[in-house]
Amino acid sequence: MTDIDVIAHQHTPEVPLIDQGAPAKVRVRKRGRITKWLAIGWLVFITISAIGANSLPYISHSCPGGSTTNCSTALVGDILSKRELPPTWATWATPLNKTLPGKATHAGLMGTDSNGRDLFARAMLGARNSLLIAGLAITFGLAIGTFLGMVAGYFRGWVDTVIDNLTNVMLAFPALLLAIFLVTFFNKPDTAESAAPRPLWPIILALVILSIPPLTRLVRANTIAYAQRDFVVAARSLGAKGSRILFREILPNIVPTLLSFALTGMALLIVAEGALAFLGLSVEVPIPTWGAMISAGSERLRAGVWWISLMPALVMFLTLLAINLLGDVLAQRFNRREAIG
Amino acid sequence: MSPHSAHTAHSIQAASRQLEGPLLEVTDLRTHFRTERGLVRSVDGVSFTLDRGRSLGIVGESGSGKTVLSRSIMGLLPKRNTERSGSVKFEGREVIDLPLADRRKIWGREMSMIFQDPMTSLNPVMRIGKQIGEGLRLHLGMSKEDARATSLHLLREVRIPEPEKRLDQYAFELSGGMRQRVMIALAMSCGPTLLFADEPTTALDVTVQAQILELIGVQKRERNMSLILVTHDLGVVAGHTDDIMVMYGGRMVEKAPTNVLFASMKMPYTEALLKSIPKIEDPSHTRLSVIPGRPPDLVNPPPGCSFAPRCSFAQDRCRTEVPPLITAEHPDHVYACWYPVGSPSHRARTAELAAAMSGAH
Amino acid sequence: MAGSGKAHLRTEGDIILRVEDLVMEFPVGHTGLKVHAVSGISFDVLRGETLGVVGESGCGKSTTGKAMMMLPKPTSGSVVFEGTELTALKADDMRAARTRMQMIFQDPISSLNPRRKVRDIVREPLVIWKRGSHQEQLAKVDALLEEVGIDPQRAADSRPHEFSGGMCQRISIARSLVLDPTLIICDEPVSALDVSVQAQVLNLLEDLKATHGLTLVFIAHDLAVVKNISDRIQVMYLGKICEVAPSNDLYTSPAHHYTKVLIDSIPVPDPEVAVHQVAIEGEPPSPVAPPPGCRFNPRCPAADDRCRAEEPQLRKVGDGHFVACHHPLIGGEAPVAVRSS
Repeated sequence: MTDIDVIAHQHTPEVPLIDQGAPAKVRVRKRGRITKWLAIGWLVFITISAIGANSLPYISHSCPGGSTTNCSTALVGDILSKRELPPTWATWATPLNKTLPGKATHAGLMGTDSNGRDLFARAMLGARNSLLIAGLAITFGLAIGTFLGMVAGYFRGWVDTVIDNLTNVMLAFPALLLAIFLVTFFNKPDTAESAAPRPLWPIILALVILSIPPLTRLVRANTIAYAQRDFVVAARSLGAKGSRILFREILPNIVPTLLSFALTGMALLIVAEGALAFLGLSVEVPIPTWGAMISAGSERLRAGVWWISLMPALVMFLTLLAINLLGDVLAQRFNRREAIG
Repeated sequence: MSPHSAHTAHSIQAASRQLEGPLLEVTDLRTHFRTERGLVRSVDGVSFTLDRGRSLGIVGESGSGKTVLSRSIMGLLPKRNTERSGSVKFEGREVIDLPLADRRKIWGREMSMIFQDPMTSLNPVMRIGKQIGEGLRLHLGMSKEDARATSLHLLREVRIPEPEKRLDQYAFELSGGMRQRVMIALAMSCGPTLLFADEPTTALDVTVQAQILELIGVQKRERNMSLILVTHDLGVVAGHTDDIMVMYGGRMVEKAPTNVLFASMKMPYTEALLKSIPKIEDPSHTRLSVIPGRPPDLVNPPPGCSFAPRCSFAQDRCRTEVPPLITAEHPDHVYACWYPVGSPSHRARTAELAAAMSGAH
Repeated sequence: MAGSGKAHLRTEGDIILRVEDLVMEFPVGHTGLKVHAVSGISFDVLRGETLGVVGESGCGKSTTGKAMMMLPKPTSGSVVFEGTELTALKADDMRAARTRMQMIFQDPISSLNPRRKVRDIVREPLVIWKRGSHQEQLAKVDALLEEVGIDPQRAADSRPHEFSGGMCQRISIARSLVLDPTLIICDEPVSALDVSVQAQVLNLLEDLKATHGLTLVFIAHDLAVVKNISDRIQVMYLGKICEVAPSNDLYTSPAHHYTKVLIDSIPVPDPEVAVHQVAIEGEPPSPVAPPPGCRFNPRCPAADDRCRAEEPQLRKVGDGHFVACHHPLIGGEAPVAVRSS
């Protein structure tokens, strides 16, 4: 017996690792705190504006007659006197259409469009459809992609072969072409007199199908990585069934990656919707989406009327930026959580 | 900013190689990290010197600050949320506040490092030959052909079987031991004068561990390099370094030439570390000696000696006063303990504990 | 069977686990080549005994450990645990059988799910098998956590990364005990730990073995560690058993040249002794193409033509001491002079 051996049997109070007195105040420099809050602030603002546009005075008061309905329908008559007015702050821009003497030469935060409708109000209304379409599409895409990816990555074998090959085929297909095909297939053709009503769901379906393959890929790769970790082997050795391992052990670990990727994906879907809208394939024209607004203004760009296209594009840009920043923050946060302390 | 910075700029300009005096002189080096919990004092006032061609083993548990110390000396730590102070003199010139561009010139050519996990410290998508050659071309301005020839020579020197074939292989195609040999070749490539080896054999099998340690020793002798070997295992440093420094709670608690340390260790911590190694000659089921508890919290270190809460020889003084470094009988042997091994108080306590043990049984 | 033999299998005593002719092969991608991880080994474990398995990485010791749990099922061979042939069990029966044998892994952090609270991780087996009420489960988990030296209060609201490596290994041990198993397979449980923590965990395992009446299979590459905890040691090399012996005999009179190498490789914490001689050069060859004859022959100082052609069988050289070598260090008919290389 050695003397140190005696130490082992003695009761010595353990040194608590974490809770010991009040830690000294230390200033920790953190990256991007301000940008994070700006991003969150912008997204909250956009979401509230999109949902509550009809009752929010800062949106409805700039619409003709104080009603947002007038901002989402084509207008005729008196209101046309306000058409294509540049934003109030763009003092250097001159309206191309002759305004009546005594009438305003500039209007609103973002100007007005060719129909005399306030662009700011329309951009906020457009957020509703743009975010709704992208949000729903990414949610469905996430659900289906996660399921397929986890099944393929955990069980492997023929299921994996089938899913993996399907994913490859879909990834190889030109994405935009596929979307165009789907949307035109499901939309009734326009008649000579009027545009046929276009429902939301074909465009959502097209975007869901676009988003499934990359998400499946991501989830499959992550599942394979986690399935080899010891804690999954440990769960199996404890007698856990496959479904339990998938949902209780693996899923919680890939959710963070998924969330940050889903945000980036949503940004991409907003762009995709915009592209479809630009091609005239999104929802019905008077109901604004950002893409449709940009598309509508593009004809007037050459005439020097830049704000009709640029303003919704700016709103879209800021939103995408905010979403991507938030995705970054999420990814960092989860990475730190997993870091071994 | 440390008061040395003005002086530093001047000494770089001079940049004359000082061949007298110690190779490395570390004085009161502190490295603290700002975290949300508070200031983590990973290295808290360490001073030592290392002569040319000598080897030093730094031993401690994880969280003792041994890895941070070696990285802090090399200047490898990120600047963000790190506070460094004190002085690190390499060949007589101050390097603690060198800007990154100047530190880069030192890395590889003056100091280089071997890490614990050769898989993660090698680039998985770059061929071995290219990885070694890159440093040669960058630091020594070699041509592509020369770099390849030198890489081959280096691989031969670290005794990798079939070195020609390895040049065009990737890290994952090699075994753990071979990867560590590649790491050594890489670290040697620009002829450093000081080599840091941070737990170079912890991830390896015992048989390979012996080979790698021997290889590092041979390289050190042939190149007249100095070596700092960081490990948690006293057994690893025993046969491979001239001096040993034991770290605890971010401080140096004992340092001595290897023979002296093993012959008369003073810190109860050093002794406890040694006794916790299972010995092959002991019969099986021999109860192992353990150090109870955990390493100290580096944010709120205990008052007095940081080992006191885990030390069975601790007395009231240990819990209130930080012991200074005391020189032992041997002039190169220093330790920080109020009641060192062999002191009357220590002996009395040992007898007391032994009596308590036999009484309990 | 080449190089294996069953001379060392016991017929008397309460045999809890008996493995015969275990073969584990894995395909190398789609090359048609196979990794011969384990090539026909047999061994047995008595109730209450600790069997140490030692060897370099790639010797098949971990694969053997996992094969005993059917993770995955062995390529061929038989594993009889408490009288049940595990290789013949259906998936559901196997899940139930696994509760009687548990596993502890090398990487303490990777073997715990980073996204779950520690107390839930330890409770999980009880939830899977619906043992006891919620209160009973918590009581049992807390008692076990106390026993392995983890504060249950802290475990209730902390995740694994908030604990040190040694403490995570304690948590792993608590989880493995919660279903009251009889056999615990420890796969390099202390290799990733500091020496000081390693001693704590080894002592803990010894204590738990006594209080819970466990049988242990302890796998590691460090012979000093294995010797400390084991009653018997089995030395493995490249998928084969070299030597089986009581722990103390293995050290005092090793019979296999490879065992000698392992003993000589252990670093001695004594500068007087540690004028280090490298015990062996090179590394084991690839298990994809193991050498014919004795698998150790390319690195063995005593190898001759017979060793290169004929695979040695395990034979008795002492009481409970068996070796598979044509020219063993002890018990050989004509000791061969060891060539100095």
